[in-house]
Amino acid sequence: MKNKPFFVGYLPVPKALRMFLWVISATLVVGAGAAGYAIGTTQDDPGTGAFRFDYGRQTVTGVIELTPLPLLHVTQGNDRIPAGRTLMMTAGGKMGVLGRAAPLEGQLATASGVLLEQGDLDMLQLRGGRNGLKAAEGTVETPAPVPLGRWKLAGEICDGKCLAGAMRPGRGLAHKACANLCLIGGIPPVFVSSQPVQGEEFLMVVGPDGTEMPQAAYNRVGQYISVEADIARHGDLLVMAIDPATMEVLD
Amino acid sequence: MSGGETIVWLVQIWLTAGAVVAALFLIVGIDRIDDDARGAYVFRPLLVPAVLLIWPLVLWRWFVLETGRDQWAARHRPPRRQHLVAAVGMALLIGFSLIAGLSVRQIWPGDIAPQQLTPPAGTED
Repeated sequence: MKNKPFFVGYLPVPKALRMFLWVISATLVVGAGAAGYAIGTTQDDPGTGAFRFDYGRQTVTGVIELTPLPLLHVTQGNDRIPAGRTLMMTAGGKMGVLGRAAPLEGQLATASGVLLEQGDLDMLQLRGGRNGLKAAEGTVETPAPVPLGRWKLAGEICDGKCLAGAMRPGRGLAHKACANLCLIGGIPPVFVSSQPVQGEEFLMVVGPDGTEMPQAAYNRVGQYISVEADIARHGDLLVMAIDPATMEVLD
Repeated sequence: MSGGETIVWLVQIWLTAGAVVAALFLIVGIDRIDDDARGAYVFRPLLVPAVLLIWPLVLWRWFVLETGRDQWAARHRPPRRQHLVAAVGMALLIGFSLIAGLSVRQIWPGDIAPQQLTPPAGTED
């Protein structure tokens, strides 16, 4: 029987296998590096969004509006979150705060938590229970929404929390399942517009006639779509009531 | 039924069949084909998750061992013969998947501007 060279890790490499091993090793190192570079350069920039733990705990007071998802129109802010800002809110993990905010609709409330920030988009992750959101003394009128008409936009529906920095990347098709779990949990959906609308790149998404985002839209999360929507300005935040029948997936 | 619902339905069927096989195999079958398993029960629940996933293979091996068709020495020969083909095939599949994924990827519609279809009520000229 012909003796074939046999590689054993702890013994010297057989002469007949040396060239083969060098070629394979070099190919793997160069190939893996090239593949990593090629794949990495085709990925979109995840942006600068992040939990801003460096800001410390943020506590602000404002009036709660249900769109039907809750917004906080800040009336007494701080250096980071000045009065006049409109904040979307989330609980820890993949949970929204509708259950805590609904009883406070139209009332002043004190919200406390950590800020997530990506460009013009910010969201407050509340502390647990009443430490995160509780009624405050006083009364303030909820700012009346300002209708901006019906628009046709192109862009992508994301979950606002991951997009604001809870995950990087927090958008795109690879993030779709995570985004849908967040949205099912009650985290506000956010539309990233291809170009600014009235100066805003990010718009909160609701359904028509004061409903939550319709189920049909969940199937289009993470895809680039065009959609018609009635847009209104709530405080300094744009809210778009999408018409699911007009959704089209772009090329 | 949407694509997602169909996938969930198929997964439910697969797991249900796996649960039936797991119950039969771990209560009846394993004693018949594995001497070492006789009288040992605590480890059996640990096998349930795997049986749920690969129940066709469990059924096949049960059948082979039960009917005495098993040739243990020959069991690994066919996979060894196919290792080179499988390795090259999988490497090509990775490359193909990457190229296919990139080729069907959408392009960000940065050139599409927002378009106002109708002004807000009460402001029409």
